[in-house]
Amino acid sequence: MSRYIVKRILQSLLTVVIVVIAVFLLLRLMPTSGYFTRDDYINMTEEMRSAYLRNLGITDPAVIQLQRFFAGVFRGDLGRSITVYPKLPISTILAEKVPYSLWFGLASMFISVTLGFGLGILMARFKDRWPDHLGTAYVVAVRAIPSLIYLFLIQIWVTGIMRWPMVFYEDRPVTWILPVVSLSLTGIAWYGIWLRRFMVDEENRDYIKFARSKGLSQKYIMRHHVLRNAVVPLVQYLPVQLLLTIAGSLIIESIYSIPGMGGLLVYAIKQQDNNLVQVLVLIYAVLGVAGVFVGDLLMAFVDPRIRLAEKKKKKEALRV
Amino acid sequence: MTETREKILRVEDVVIRFNLRGKELTAVRSASLDLYKGETLAIVGESGSGKSVFTKSFLGMLDKNGRVASGNILFEGENLAEFTREEQWLKIRGRKIAMIFQDPMTALNPLKTIGEQIREVITLHRGMNRQEAREEALAMLGKVGIGDAAQRYGQYPHEFSGGMRQRVVIAIAAACRPDILICDEPTTALDVTIQAQILENLKELQREMGMSIIFITHDLGVVANVADRVAVMYAGEIVEYGRTPEVFYDPRHPYSWALLASLPQLGEKGEDLYTIHGTPPNLFKEIKGDAFAPRNPRALKIDFEEAPPWFAVSDTHFAKTWLLHESAPEVEAPKIIQRLKEKSLKGLDYGS
Ligand SMILES: Nc1ncnc2c1ncn2[C@@H]1O[C@H](COP(=O)(O)OP(=O)(O)OP(=O)(O)O)[C@@H](O)[C@H]1O
Ligand SMILES: [Mg+2]
Repeated sequence: MSRYIVKRILQSLLTVVIVVIAVFLLLRLMPTSGYFTRDDYINMTEEMRSAYLRNLGITDPAVIQLQRFFAGVFRGDLGRSITVYPKLPISTILAEKVPYSLWFGLASMFISVTLGFGLGILMARFKDRWPDHLGTAYVVAVRAIPSLIYLFLIQIWVTGIMRWPMVFYEDRPVTWILPVVSLSLTGIAWYGIWLRRFMVDEENRDYIKFARSKGLSQKYIMRHHVLRNAVVPLVQYLPVQLLLTIAGSLIIESIYSIPGMGGLLVYAIKQQDNNLVQVLVLIYAVLGVAGVFVGDLLMAFVDPRIRLAEKKKKKEALRV
Repeated sequence: MTETREKILRVEDVVIRFNLRGKELTAVRSASLDLYKGETLAIVGESGSGKSVFTKSFLGMLDKNGRVASGNILFEGENLAEFTREEQWLKIRGRKIAMIFQDPMTALNPLKTIGEQIREVITLHRGMNRQEAREEALAMLGKVGIGDAAQRYGQYPHEFSGGMRQRVVIAIAAACRPDILICDEPTTALDVTIQAQILENLKELQREMGMSIIFITHDLGVVANVADRVAVMYAGEIVEYGRTPEVFYDPRHPYSWALLASLPQLGEKGEDLYTIHGTPPNLFKEIKGDAFAPRNPRALKIDFEEAPPWFAVSDTHFAKTWLLHESAPEVEAPKIIQRLKEKSLKGLDYGS
């Protein structure tokens, strides 16, 4: 088991490094004009520009730059933004923005999981009856209608009816409600539809037939066999989703004017803020990879077959 | 001899229908059966003859699209065929009538230890607390031939071989001391030596707990080994039943002949193996006369017109064939079957 963990950690690190290097090198292919704010670029002479670039270290060979970047990251220095927030340390920007996305993300994830699981259980329990049809209609609606449309409608109608402010104010808790709810709509649908599907799969398995023939009640079987087993394949995805809440949501943060992380990466790319792009890619890569890794660990924890697959492989290797 | 024994289950004229895309399919057509306390009754018949469906109806385990359309299933003064609610069945399933299925690889929850899976039935049906249930579960595991039960108790199904899993399944089914244990081809998926051990275990359990067993199988060797009585099923109907030697050495129904004649063990060197021609009848259609008649080269005219009633061969041996009617013509059984009768006098051993 511990060998497996070490192996997976090394694999994860390698993945992150490869992703970051790839993005780093791709960014070197961009025109160097991206390293200037517009005013600077216009006001500088050609010589001043190349001196500025040399000063930034952009003209050094890519390997050196890469080394410098990683060295900086290890020291905890993420560098400075170039064009999005000129000269501001990136760590300061993150410290500002991450908490908004994180708290909204966590709240919505909590709601998504509880309501989504509830929905999935109801749909499976009343399969092909009206709760199932209603749930399916909801899921289809959330997926098929472009989210901008219903998110806008929710914002306009609900704030109108409740006489709430249209946008987010940090000191007005009622303005927190709609962003959280809006953020949860797709999550609820996602958890609901998958849990339903996995539960229905489990219900049709032979061991459920045998459990019924043992005289266990439908309720007991649902709770202790069907639900328990159906949650397992979902468990794997929880950590990724939890960690990536940090990334925020582009649409919701912009329609409610929440100063979070949502859209920062897109914006940084548009503005050619290479430093910021690199750091964000690094962060998302680390979170994504770590999430998958923790998910796999959790899986091994809740599914006894996985742990053994490792052991067996080892035994077989020894036998050969 | 059997008259003095107590009948524990009486199944009368059970008809089971399934609704398949709007059409009615009759899987069991008026099947009857008696089960005595402590005996083992084997049900044999080709695939699709309705053995599983018939016996599943004793626990209310038919698929959702199926129902007992008529007939009685009399058990402990109640007619199970009239049960409509799940709660009624919960009093029967597991604690009175238990069932084990063919495939041991899929019968256990892969994510729960086998200990949990035995314990849950014991606590449910016998009202024991956790510790007592554990003791009882360990004892059961020992009885079905699982060594170092205490260690095995905490293991998961994938850590067991097929044979071991089937033992676990048997332990679970027997843990609540049911009056009737239905075994639906419990050893078909296992290899022969393990099959034999498991049959021994079952017999021992039966001796100890005094339960009755209904044993469904394709393997007539197994039947000879475990069954006190045999019922032959064809196209959703029991066509012959009797004590095992009676049915084996003196079968009367042409379908029983065909079934026995197709056994490789009975063939003589150089003789072609007997095969049953044609296919079973379409279950969507009404069947006229003897269901086996179209495939029976020795069929009489009346076989196509009217369904035969039961005829008694002895006090314990019955067959549903016009051949037993007093005015029926002499029809010779296949050579192979005639030889069986001669061999029976010499005492042929069928056990595998
Ligand atoms: N849920 C169902 N819906 C429709 N038809 C069904 C259903 N279950 C069983 N049947 C039909 O009932 C008939 C009897 O099936 P059953 O499984 O009892 O046969 P069997 O004698 O047990 O065969 P085998 O030896 O292969 O197990 C078959 O024709 C089968 O197709
Ligand atoms: Mg069957």
